[in-house]
This record gives sequence, C-alpha cells and structure tokens, in this order.
Amino acid sequence: MRLTTVWYFLAEGWRSARRNVSLISLGTIAASLFVLGALALILMNLDHISQSLQARIEIRAFLEDGLSPEGVAAVREQIRGTDGVAQVAFVSKDEGLRRLRGQLGERAGLLDVVGDNPLPDAFDVRVEDPERTSEVAARISRIPGVLGVNYGQGFTEKLLATMRLVGVAGAAVAALFVAAVVFIVGNTVRLTVISRAREIEVMKLVGATDWFIRWPFLVEGMVVGLVGAAISGLLLFACYKVGVRYVAALAPFIPVITAPEPVAALCVALLLMGVLMGIVAGGVFVKRYLRV
Amino acid sequence: MMTLIRLYSVSKVYPNGAVGLLNADTYIRQGEFVFLVGPSGAGKTTFMNLLMRQVLPTQGQVIVDGRNVVRMRPSEVPYLRRAVRMIFQDYKLLPNKTAYENVAFALRVTEANPRQIRARVTEALELVGIADKARAYPGELSGGEQQRVSVARAIVGDPTILLADEPTGNLDLDTSWGIMELLLRINKRGTTVIMATHNRSIVNGMMRRVIELDCGKIVRDDERGAYGREADHGMVLPG
Repeated sequence: MRLTTVWYFLAEGWRSARRNVSLISLGTIAASLFVLGALALILMNLDHISQSLQARIEIRAFLEDGLSPEGVAAVREQIRGTDGVAQVAFVSKDEGLRRLRGQLGERAGLLDVVGDNPLPDAFDVRVEDPERTSEVAARISRIPGVLGVNYGQGFTEKLLATMRLVGVAGAAVAALFVAAVVFIVGNTVRLTVISRAREIEVMKLVGATDWFIRWPFLVEGMVVGLVGAAISGLLLFACYKVGVRYVAALAPFIPVITAPEPVAALCVALLLMGVLMGIVAGGVFVKRYLRV
Repeated sequence: MMTLIRLYSVSKVYPNGAVGLLNADTYIRQGEFVFLVGPSGAGKTTFMNLLMRQVLPTQGQVIVDGRNVVRMRPSEVPYLRRAVRMIFQDYKLLPNKTAYENVAFALRVTEANPRQIRARVTEALELVGIADKARAYPGELSGGEQQRVSVARAIVGDPTILLADEPTGNLDLDTSWGIMELLLRINKRGTTVIMATHNRSIVNGMMRRVIELDCGKIVRDDERGAYGREADHGMVLPG
C-alpha cells in the first residue's frame, strides 16, 4: 500500500468523522462508556475496601497467666511455626490495657472500677490468607500455654462471605454492562454506516476494492471511539475527584481509592475500549454493505 | 475490429420473476458507439449491469475485454469496473466530495500517484468543460454540470468501455447535446461507448449502431440505425 494511500485513508476517516458523526451518537458513546467506567470505579473501590478490611483481620491469642519468659518465647515459636501464619507480635497485658482504654474513650473510667489489670498477655497474629483465619485460629488455640483466641468469630466469616458475593455480583453486572455498551456503540456506528450505504455503493461502482472502502470507516470508528471515550474519561476523572472529597468529608472511615493512578489506568482502559469498539463496529457493519 | 464484448445466450430473471434479459446473443467491437433502445423495462439497464457485474445472469456467459464476468472472483470485480466505467442517469456523485474529488476518487481507488491524479483530473474536468467548478460540491451544481462531472469521473482512468445509462434522461435538449458531443469525442479517442436511451432525436441524429430491446429480447440490431417515428426528421450532430 502506498504511503499516500495510507495518508488518504487517515485524512478521509478524520474528515468523514467530523462531517458525519452527530453529537447524539458521540454523546451516546460517551455516556455509555461513562456509566461503564463509573461501575468499574465502584467495583474497584469495593475491592479496595474489602482488601483493607481483610488486612485488618487478625487473631489475638491470649496466654495463660504466669508463663515464664521462656514459656512465652516457646509459644511464640509454635505460633510462628503454624501453617498460614504471616506475622506474630507480642502484646503485653499493660499494652493491651492501654489499647483498650483508647478504644473505650470516654468510658475508660469503667476500667478503674475493675481495679487490677484483668487482661492476660497476648500475641497478635496476622494470617497469610484471611479466608483461612478460623482454621489457623483453631490450630493456635490448641497450642499449650494459649488460653484462648479471639478473631471476631462470626463477624469475620460474614464479612468474607459478603465480599465474595459482592465480587461475583460485581463481575456479573460489569459483564452485562460491557455487553450493553458494545451493543450501543455498535448500533451507533451501524446507523452512520447505513446512512452512507449509497456512498459505499458508488465507491464500489467506480472500482474501489473492499479494503479501500473499509479503511476510512475503520479510521472513522477509531476517531469516534477515541473522542467518545476521551470525553467520558475526563468526565469520570473529574467526577471521581469530587466524589472522593465528598466521601472523605462525610464518611472518613471508608477507605476509598484516593491515588490517581488506578483511576487514570481505568480511563486509559476506557479509551482503548472505545477505540477497539469503534474499529470493530466500523469494520463489521461496512462489510454488510460491500456486496454491490 | 476486435470483439470486446460477447454475450452468449444470456438470460436474467430476477427473484421476483421479472425478466431482465432473455436469451440475448450479441457482440460489440472495440471502438464502437452503440445505442441500446427500447421502452422502460425492456432490459437496457440489465444489459449494462451485466457488463459491470452488478448483476449475474441466470443463464449464459458474458465476456468483457477477455474476462468471463460470470466466473470472475469477487476480488477481480473492482478491476473490471476500472476498465468498464459507467455514467448514470442520477449521476451517482459522492455528495460530500467536490467535483474535483469525485473525479479524483476514480483514480485514487487505483492507487495512482498524486501528481498523476492531479494532472489527469484537471485534464478531464477541462475536457468536459467544468474546470471552473472543480471546487463546487454536487449540490451546488446544475443537473447538466453534475452529469459532466460524472462523465469526467468515467473517462479519467481511460476506460476501455464507457457505459452510459440514460445519461441525458434528466437534462434539457441543449444540455443533452452537449453531453452527446462529449461522448462522441471520447469515442473518437478509442473508447467503446454503449449508451442506453429513450431519446429518439439523439439516436436518429447520430446514425450509429442501434440495438433495440423489448421485454428482454434483442428485437433489432442495425449498423446505422434509427429509433422509431422520428427517424426521418432527426437532427444531425456536427463532428
């Protein structure tokens, strides 16, 4: 293919995109990609929240009173040697009390009523895989010298089950949305092609090969996809920034994604998706009108 | 003269049962100027569409410039259409392109080099007499001017065969004669011209070969023929 021909295709596609693509079709593409992007952001944040919640899951193993330092060290070694354990940290009874006071806040006065420190020494254990928390906890509880374990029994299991459900449902909804967006974008490009069926016929009658006709449409599809995706990407980025500030002010305890990189990566993905869909839709629908 | 087009018992029956052509057997030599005449629905357009491979015959063989149109692969069709150009009654210009770009498009598809395109398009527009309207879009041109652009597009690639389907159908008499003069000049340069028309005065004024069709059948083939009642008071075109 001659370089001048390639240049002709690019120029022709660009000109034709500027001339033929209505604000409505561009808006449709931008809006559907925006909705898809917004859904992806929600899912990304849910995943982020789930990960940071899971990272907070830990097992506290309380030790029997009166263990010698050697005994404590032996228990630490045994916990460390347990399958699935990532990290072990000692929490002395004094440290435990201090933390409890912090958690109780204004009601810390209650502890003065109790008098002596009632808390035993303990180990904070982090597991490698939060899903295996209860299994690891059960094993630790059987180690001699361990009085009992606490890992928010019941709550942890529910949290993990909920996260799994959210993940599956999110993936399903996302897949549906991708299908819907492909359909909408495809249809938008299809309408542009139909409106130019006559033009395609004339091109064929003057001896243009199928690829000669198709290339400018592919370029046009690419331009439309790119512009639509760029609009939705910019809008999404701006809206997310505002949204994050809102959440931070209203519910600071929710760990949303604040770093710009994942959001920017999503916008790039949308851009690629827009371009790809434009090209594919352009190519597929022109084909139908090439049989003259 | 060499035979350029050959039809061997060609029939075309459309899916709805309409007969386009019935057992047509004929030949056209290189350099000829042939009129296809007959009432509407006689098969003139089918005849031309077969040569361009816009339709395929239901029976028979069509040979154009050494190519078997019926057995041709779809990928060869564009090359046939570069050798056989057509002028349409409704011009079929691309509305989004200027007169110049419309003509240039016929060369662009052949991937000719840009300098060559520029020179030949300018020449073709001058030949048809609308070089001054090169930058106008079809919508800004009169019917006659649009048909001239369409003629320029058809001849710019020096086709072997030029088909003209009622090229004067939408034009007034003066403009029609202008177009006819053009077709004659192109024919003199060696291009075989086949023109379908209803226009009796044009056919009778030119005294060329006339193939008359009726209900898909070739009913007459005269070397220097006339068409119908006006045969005796036809106009004579200079040149």
